Amino acid sequence: MATSTILSNPTVTVNAIDMSDQCTSAVFHINYAQLTATAFGDVDNKYVKGLGDHSVDLEFYMSFAASETWATLKSLVGTTTTVVVKPASGAASATNPGLTLTGCFLAELPTNFALGELSTATISFTGGVYSEATS
Amino acid sequence: MAKIISPRLGTPGDDFDEAAALEAGINVQALIDGGFISTSKAAKSAKTNSEQEETR
Repeated sequence: MATSTILSNPTVTVNAIDMSDQCTSAVFHINYAQLTATAFGDVDNKYVKGLGDHSVDLEFYMSFAASETWATLKSLVGTTTTVVVKPASGAASATNPGLTLTGCFLAELPTNFALGELSTATISFTGGVYSEATS
Repeated sequence: MAKIISPRLGTPGDDFDEAAALEAGINVQALIDGGFISTSKAAKSAKTNSEQEETR
């Protein structure tokens, strides 16, 4: 039977800081380079896995208060850190995997200031080592 | 040993294991800069000037 996941309380930690209550979207990209392995005699393309090139895109409400979004992210620009996204709160498990990107790089911190709107920041952590915590 | 300040990181007042955090890829300096942890470096004592000023 097909099942769907309705996200109501996913968790997002950036640099070990729980940012779930400021986050509105998290997109985890698990990518590997697609290397051709096709040779003479083949009649169809064949591919093998190359280097991983992962990333995670996060959307945050911007808050300049203590221990909030700005305080968490400002010192991470130009450095590497660890990001963990889980479908639900609680311990990581096989049905609540902690998608983890260790050593990912934050290149920029674009902050949106628009009249009459909540300030937001959409950021991308790129690179790093992908792993899935299930315990 | 660093101490946790922000509840977003853990229980305030608890010890923060910097070595374990570094091993997990955590940017500890960013935690310090953001005010999430405090380091236990002893405060520098006030400089005292033992030399006596010459009186004229």
